[in-house]
Amino acid sequence: MKKYHLVRRSGQSLARRLVYYLIGILISLGIGAVLLWSLGINPFEFYGRMLSIGMIGNKYAYKNVEGFLKILVPLLITSLALGLSFKMRFWNIGGEGEFLIGAISAAVVAFTVTGLPRPLTILLMCLAAMLSSGLLGLFVAFFKVKFNTNETLVTLMINYIMLYVITYLGKTKEDWNFFLDPKSARPIFGKFPEAAIMDGIKIGNFNLLWSVIIAVALIVFIYVYLKYTKHGYEISVVGDSSATAKYAGMKVGRIVMRTMFISSAMIGLAAGLTASSSGTISETVTNNVGWTGIVVAWLGKLSVPAIAVTSVLISILQFGCKTAATKYPSIDSNFADLLQGIILFSVLTADFCATFTLKKKEDAKNA
Amino acid sequence: MEYAIELKGISKQFGPLFANKNVSLQLKKGEILALLGENGSGKTTLMNMLSGIYMPDSGSIFIDGKKVSISSPEDSAKLGIGMVHQHFKLVERFTALDNIRIGLRDNKSLLLKKDTKDVVMKMAEKFGFDIDPDKLVSNMSVSEKQTLEILKVLCYGAKIIILDEPTAVLTVQEIDKLFKVLRKMKEEGHSIIIITHKLNEVMDISDRVTVLRHGEYIGTVVTSESTEKSLTELMVGRKIDLDIKCVPIEKTKPLLEIRGLTVKNDEGAIAVDHLDFYIRGGEMLGVAGIAGSGQKELCEAIAGLRPIVDGKIIHKGDNIVGLPPAKILEKGISMSFIPEDRLGMGLAPSLSITDNMILKNYGEHKGPFIDRKLAREEAKKVIERFKVVTPSTETPVRKLSGGNVQKVLLGREIKSGPNVLITAYPVRGLDINSSYMIYDILNEQKKKDVGILFIGEDIDVMMALCDKIMVICHGRLMGVVNSNHTTKEEIGLMMTGALDLVDRGGKTAGIAKDSEIAGNDKNETEDTGL
Repeated sequence: MKKYHLVRRSGQSLARRLVYYLIGILISLGIGAVLLWSLGINPFEFYGRMLSIGMIGNKYAYKNVEGFLKILVPLLITSLALGLSFKMRFWNIGGEGEFLIGAISAAVVAFTVTGLPRPLTILLMCLAAMLSSGLLGLFVAFFKVKFNTNETLVTLMINYIMLYVITYLGKTKEDWNFFLDPKSARPIFGKFPEAAIMDGIKIGNFNLLWSVIIAVALIVFIYVYLKYTKHGYEISVVGDSSATAKYAGMKVGRIVMRTMFISSAMIGLAAGLTASSSGTISETVTNNVGWTGIVVAWLGKLSVPAIAVTSVLISILQFGCKTAATKYPSIDSNFADLLQGIILFSVLTADFCATFTLKKKEDAKNA
Repeated sequence: MEYAIELKGISKQFGPLFANKNVSLQLKKGEILALLGENGSGKTTLMNMLSGIYMPDSGSIFIDGKKVSISSPEDSAKLGIGMVHQHFKLVERFTALDNIRIGLRDNKSLLLKKDTKDVVMKMAEKFGFDIDPDKLVSNMSVSEKQTLEILKVLCYGAKIIILDEPTAVLTVQEIDKLFKVLRKMKEEGHSIIIITHKLNEVMDISDRVTVLRHGEYIGTVVTSESTEKSLTELMVGRKIDLDIKCVPIEKTKPLLEIRGLTVKNDEGAIAVDHLDFYIRGGEMLGVAGIAGSGQKELCEAIAGLRPIVDGKIIHKGDNIVGLPPAKILEKGISMSFIPEDRLGMGLAPSLSITDNMILKNYGEHKGPFIDRKLAREEAKKVIERFKVVTPSTETPVRKLSGGNVQKVLLGREIKSGPNVLITAYPVRGLDINSSYMIYDILNEQKKKDVGILFIGEDIDVMMALCDKIMVICHGRLMGVVNSNHTTKEEIGLMMTGALDLVDRGGKTAGIAKDSEIAGNDKNETEDTGL
């Protein structure tokens, strides 16, 4: 006979959830420490570097902040965008593909439109990226609405199509291929002209890129959009019960297509900003945000502030691991990935433990 | 005396809420015990602990005097307990026989189809079941499915049978048949627990009645020593007036006229077949019919949610066929349909009461934003007016109990000030108290000259509440009767299609004398039919 059974905890205490997360992270760091120790690395030193994203004792600490923000911005915007479609129960796992088509479109503008001032060029790049990604998302939504195709499959396949498109562009040395560096004999993506490269506000040596400001504005915008507008209301009703939405006279198909357009266009914007701030594109331009963004959106329980916080933490983890790993010859970026995996897994376990509890079955005293 | 089942001090908590608190119950061998209680009083939870779906947090269960622990439906079946759930647990694509076979666990000799068939048929004969073992469940009527469910648990060797609201979906004749079977089972020494809201059935079938209120055990009485009134008082905890009033109202011109309406269901079969009827302002028209006779399709067609094949829907002289749902709402036609799961249509379960209030009119809010302040005011008004039990206006609707969910839904429909109110199963699964509250709400609307289409399950209620009753069978009109000049039996016969009163006495039922539709239109629609 079973003596224990799982019971959903009463009430949702944020404090308890945070304590559980903390315990989970500490356990995973402990496992990581054992691994580091066995490789002959002092774990405290490693973690110190990791959590401070390599700023401690670094003359060029501001460079690390800049590097960190470059990782954060695309992840943050993509996670918000994916959260938007997930809220509608539209399983858009095509973040990678939508990001790539946006990056390619931004590169087309960067290489072909010349002679315009920098702000205008970058604006055009972003608009091109948003439009192309948005249309790709709209395409998927259209088929979902018209023929009830499975959006998970379609978006998944789009990821691969776009990956091969950009690989083709990066590997084909032909006269028409303006994406490549004309000076190099080997096929290699060219550097954008000066006017297409993002600049920012100088604060001392630190360069605060415009993309960061745009990302912060987007957090506020999406928060308000979801919480206070009619569109946001429609998204939550459609996500909760599309039968009810139809019954209330909502045009469900239109809402799905509109939201997918906005969601994908945001991912396109992330791609445009990323391409512009790195000054080039490559097969790895996405840094896997299309995938990581899914994890962030769910860890953040589809709430905008939680998604923002989660993406900051994940970015610290990613960038911190990478910078810390460069200091030690015995480990490489793969170790950083391993550690990230362990931490994410324990956070998800902690999440489960914060929701459920084991309860002992007891017999009544008066029996 | 040894009991078939004895429960002592059973408690079950869901979060901070007690679904059952220190409940005791005794079921004697060979008796029929009715379990009575309002919605959310914990009847189903208690029974689910007997069938192994939940485990009690504390308390003990004795079967035949032995203390047992039931931690899975399998344990429950081994102890000889069989539960017939409100929502059937059958495989639609299997035959009746196969549905029984998939659940046979221990007895290997029964795995052969022929052997099982013999056993099943013998069992069916013993209790007087009328069943075709090779019929597909998907082709069965509700009553056939229920028969199969009961036969199934009997074949698994159940000596204790629990029935959760078995009569909710049956016609009068079918209920009689069910009760005959139950009495037969009792004679054979089976013990039965039956959950029902209908007091006349409790009086008819049960030996004793156990009453729960708010998850607590109130008491057990012998049926023959109690009355419907005394049982209600036990259940509700205070005196209550059991009369349903039908408010006579001066009728106005036909508000909504339906002529030759033909609608298909999701499978493409004809669900509503050349239906004619009308509702006047201040009139309540009941719709009686066996579940699945086209009620849902009719509602959806009027609300503009389902395309119609043929026919006219005239509202105040305007044809509303083909208008989008939002436009039909604007005209003041409100439709609220309570489906079996009570949540699927009309409400967004994870959203708050506030957010559900504005589901149909958020478009009228100014600018691109939602006016939550206004919505909260509306939510407060509905909560106050209909006495919705909820911690706050921001509570998600799915956390409310069934009765409160329905009050929220009906409250929203009424606050928009409709002139035609279509309401399907508004008291589905509700207890007496909540049901009467809903009848009052509807009567109040009638006084405001609203035309009401009341699609219901309980014929007694419809005869008391409605001015007229329209009976449909397989989507066809069987006649419209005046609720003062009809009998339950007559309506029952019409529901099964055995009695057709259309065209009796040369007058076509369902067409108003002062119709807004010109006479020749009628012929046109008939010509284009089929």
